[in-house]
Amino acid sequence: MIRKREVAKRVFAQELISSTYQIEDENQIKYVLTPTGERVNRIFSVAVLLDKEEIGADTNFWRLRLADPTGTFFATVGRFQPEALDVIGEINVPELVALVGKTRVFEGTSRKLVSIRPEIISPVDLAVRDYWVLETARRTLERIDGMEKREGEDVELAWRVYNPDLNEYREMVRKAVVTVREDVEVMEKFEKEEEIDFTGFEFEEEEIDLTDLLEE
Amino acid sequence: MSRAEILTDQILEKIKGQNVRVKREDILKRMKLLIEEFKVPESEAVRTITNYLVREYGVSREELIDKTSPLVKISEITKPNQWVSLKAKVVQLWDSNSSNVSQVGLIGDETGIIKFVIWSKAEMPEVEEGKSYLFQNVVTDSFQGRMQVNVNRTSRIVEIDEDIHLPPREIDVVGAIISFQQNSGLIKRCNECGRVLVKGACQIHGKVDGYDDLRVKAVLDDGESVYEIILNEENISSLTGINLEKALEIAKENLDRNAVLAELKNKLMGRYFRVKGLRGGRYLLVKEIEHYKPSIEEFEEILEVLA
Repeated sequence: MIRKREVAKRVFAQELISSTYQIEDENQIKYVLTPTGERVNRIFSVAVLLDKEEIGADTNFWRLRLADPTGTFFATVGRFQPEALDVIGEINVPELVALVGKTRVFEGTSRKLVSIRPEIISPVDLAVRDYWVLETARRTLERIDGMEKREGEDVELAWRVYNPDLNEYREMVRKAVVTVREDVEVMEKFEKEEEIDFTGFEFEEEEIDLTDLLEE
Repeated sequence: MSRAEILTDQILEKIKGQNVRVKREDILKRMKLLIEEFKVPESEAVRTITNYLVREYGVSREELIDKTSPLVKISEITKPNQWVSLKAKVVQLWDSNSSNVSQVGLIGDETGIIKFVIWSKAEMPEVEEGKSYLFQNVVTDSFQGRMQVNVNRTSRIVEIDEDIHLPPREIDVVGAIISFQQNSGLIKRCNECGRVLVKGACQIHGKVDGYDDLRVKAVLDDGESVYEIILNEENISSLTGINLEKALEIAKENLDRNAVLAELKNKLMGRYFRVKGLRGGRYLLVKEIEHYKPSIEEFEEILEVLA
């Protein structure tokens, strides 16, 4: 039986890198549990690719450092992510990218680290980032709400594992939205000024009589 | 009483009216062998014995099938291999690409929509789009992770004079395209049937020249659900400026038809779109699609909630 495709969850970097707990369901699918009780197997993020570093010469295995308005996170791309690998080979940093990938928790030397294996990386423009921040803000607030109401198993688990300060996450959302709103405001003004009114112009067609030329 | 005995008596009950002499011990012995010794699922055991009675004793099949498989609503169908009856309207019929399938498409009731398959072997009269039917004794099944119902020889389809109201299928969703599926980009279709050619051959008509077309099969994700969408040349052209003519040019310049796919990915992947369309089975049938850009008011709203 082919499994239903996992939905790509929207989570800000700050929340993502605070996630250290991995769950495995009855079908052996691995999820990262976030502090606001989201279960993430696949993630969709729009972030700035700050750095790409090939681990060893000509290994074609890259470590990526990315940032959204709330923090920095890591991703690794290797030959098992051919589509993302093609893009990484050619991309110049820094660049704003949309990224779809699988989340994993790794045991680091001093602490647990969450990292992404990107399936897809695609350079995008700022409008995409703007909506991603808005959408992620909405989803995060919904989850914070769920945490307060103590709805569901994952929420209970998140309370037990992380005991999060929800106001910290509210503040994260607020900051991200404020930053982006300023950008959107500037862009909207800019676009309005760009709209040049053509209605005052009249175009006259010059008629040239070519019959003389033809007769000659 | 053991399960074998209960099932045996159920079968005997059904053929009581018929003039056949079947020994209870005979059936019970078979039933025990199947379910107690061989651990065959009960439904399979009943079916095997039913077939045996039809074959050996000339019992009529109609008498043996359970005429009263429970009437359910589509939303209640969650498990495969259940015998059910449904009152539903034929929403859509698709082209069947197998000679084993007589008809395939979607049926719906007030609670949802489900795919149905009428096997050719079932020898059923054809159903029509927009008409409502009672589908008796159909079997639920799970195919590629989704539920469907199968109409077989023992099913019955009766047209009913009842207009079944379907749930609104119109959806208006904003999501990101996060994956392209196979057979996207500059494709070739069969001249006869329009199917997409795979390695220059049509599933039905074999090797054909085919004609060029542009389409994208993609996954749209809004963080809560995934929708599979199909974009046609018109959609693609309005979103990317690449129409069929331009696509052929790109392919020619690069001496590679895949260059078109790469270009479309560059322009569509990871972007947000607002899609209006109809939900139909696994696909969201696109009526309108446009790039989505948030307005300043949407940001203000969130900040108000947080204040």
